[in-house]
Amino acid sequence: MSETTTTGTAAAPRPATPEGTALAARLRHPRTYLWAIGSVLLLAFPFYLDRFWLQAGLFAMAAAIGAIGLNLLTGATGQLSMGHAFFLAVGAYGYCVLAGESSTENGHELSGLGLPSWLAAVLAVLLAGAAGGLFSPIASRLRGAYLGIATLALIFIGQHVLFNAGSLTGGFNGRAVPPLSLFGFGFDDTEVIVAGVPFQSSEKLWYAALLALLLSGLFARGVLRGRPGRALNAIRDHRIAAGVMGVPVARYRAGVFVLSSMYAGLAGVLLALVFQRTVPEYFGMVLSLEYLAMIVIGGLGTVAGAVVGAAFVSLLPQLLTHYSDSLPLVSAPGTGGLAPGEASRYLYGAAVVAAVLFLPGGLTRLMKNSGEKK
Amino acid sequence: MTTTHEAAPVTTAPAALAVRDVTVRFAGLTALDSVSFTVEPGSVHAVIGPNGAGKSTTFNVLSGVYRATSGTVHLGTTELTGLAPHTIARLGVARTFQNLALPPHATVTDSLLLGRHRLTRAGFVASGLRLPSAAREARRHLERVREIAEFIGLEKELDRPAGALPYGQQKLVELGRALCMEPQVLLLDEPVAGMTADERRRTAAVVAGVRDSLGISIVLVEHDMGVVMRLADAVTVLDFGRRIAGGTPAEVQNDPAVVQAYLGAQE
Repeated sequence: MSETTTTGTAAAPRPATPEGTALAARLRHPRTYLWAIGSVLLLAFPFYLDRFWLQAGLFAMAAAIGAIGLNLLTGATGQLSMGHAFFLAVGAYGYCVLAGESSTENGHELSGLGLPSWLAAVLAVLLAGAAGGLFSPIASRLRGAYLGIATLALIFIGQHVLFNAGSLTGGFNGRAVPPLSLFGFGFDDTEVIVAGVPFQSSEKLWYAALLALLLSGLFARGVLRGRPGRALNAIRDHRIAAGVMGVPVARYRAGVFVLSSMYAGLAGVLLALVFQRTVPEYFGMVLSLEYLAMIVIGGLGTVAGAVVGAAFVSLLPQLLTHYSDSLPLVSAPGTGGLAPGEASRYLYGAAVVAAVLFLPGGLTRLMKNSGEKK
Repeated sequence: MTTTHEAAPVTTAPAALAVRDVTVRFAGLTALDSVSFTVEPGSVHAVIGPNGAGKSTTFNVLSGVYRATSGTVHLGTTELTGLAPHTIARLGVARTFQNLALPPHATVTDSLLLGRHRLTRAGFVASGLRLPSAAREARRHLERVREIAEFIGLEKELDRPAGALPYGQQKLVELGRALCMEPQVLLLDEPVAGMTADERRRTAAVVAGVRDSLGISIVLVEHDMGVVMRLADAVTVLDFGRRIAGGTPAEVQNDPAVVQAYLGAQE
């Protein structure tokens, strides 16, 4: 199948290459080398970057997984969801409750099941899927923007529960996240020296997150390029025609909603592990909007779009804030001028507007076009 | 039926499509008024009439997009009235749309593969995990898609986005997508509208080839009387939602009611 099947760009027709020459063609393609360099860099980062950048990267990877899920639902199927933050919260808090021990924290009697943390992570993802399943009768009946409005309710319900179900969520102050451990290997802050570099939780989690992102990206790509992806795109492009072609529209809408909430759940588990503390405020409406911004900026309907958009939305503010002191025309905070933090926020806003205005197909479209001109 | 093309025949024996007293009302407006006709297996049945006669409404009832207010549609012994569009599609009723309903960016291959939806099984898990069963299935159906693309003369355009093709070829892609469903009944909504003379000839030849080699029943809505007279075995004429005439093309052509509907009454 050609590279352009799901990316939706007008690529030049490519003659079908026999199996033997496929590898040679791939070796000639610059993208292969970009991938190789990118992979090496991503694998080497924990040895060179400090904790701040690793955290930022981990945050971006978790966001990318969540954005892939939202892109399956909104980008590929055309079903708007404002409730993505709710499913992120289900994943994050689900993990905390399933893996945590019962304890008292900040005056709250916290209940926890104390399951092995890897099992808790898997169950938290399934729990998010089940929550999506509970909502799927609604998700299958409403289309596009109408679903967006209905899912707003999830945010309000979610916020209410997170703030008030103190024994599960720890209330306003949230609860601590038990570190992940896999086959006796703990992703916690105990130091392990690897090649002279002390590995703490960020370094170890980096590889777990990288693997999770890779697997979820591959899975979503398989879905999008296969039979379900064609059915989802047909629902987005011509709902009536999709039904007439034999696609059970309601069932696919429900299915992709469940799948998308499972991606959100996995992203939530990862975010919780990175933050090491979950707070209810984070999982509000703004988070849902950020995820929508990611897929619009990156490119609707593709895995690459979700990943690029997630990196852009979650890394750019960090970058700008980190280097805001060296921005021109800023003054020290409190002296009345434009503070570095504010300047970075303005720049971020301008970048978002510019991306949407000048790259209607998203950032991935830009890369595609520059590749074609060669 | 004589087999002149390499395309494989349909698996199930074709059944008659019987429309009985179908009435469709939209809030006081009667779009169809107890219309009846029967499409014989393996024949081309044209539904003609002036604009607003109810031709597209008929198609929407046949494919399950609209519910009939009363009356029934049977395919063989199965009642189609009241079934969801995807269930009717699964029974082997395929259709094309008057205004194109193709995803603009998807390649022709992908558009045609969508037609294989009812004949394939791979779900979210099988496709996501790229299970060997899903890969095998995709390969097998891709072969058949190539055959059908050859049959409609689009084998060179398979890797191009459908939206980039000329209008006439896009209509052919739609026809091909419907054929990919291996239907028993094919509903064609104005298949040659907006085409150049050359594209018209080509499309008419494809439709004739489908009837002759695949034994599919075809219901044809078309304004081009040349195409209708050449292809149709039977014609039903609608006007203001009523069936005003029916029979062979020659009979219908000379029917005074038809002449009146098209040209107006002689005062």
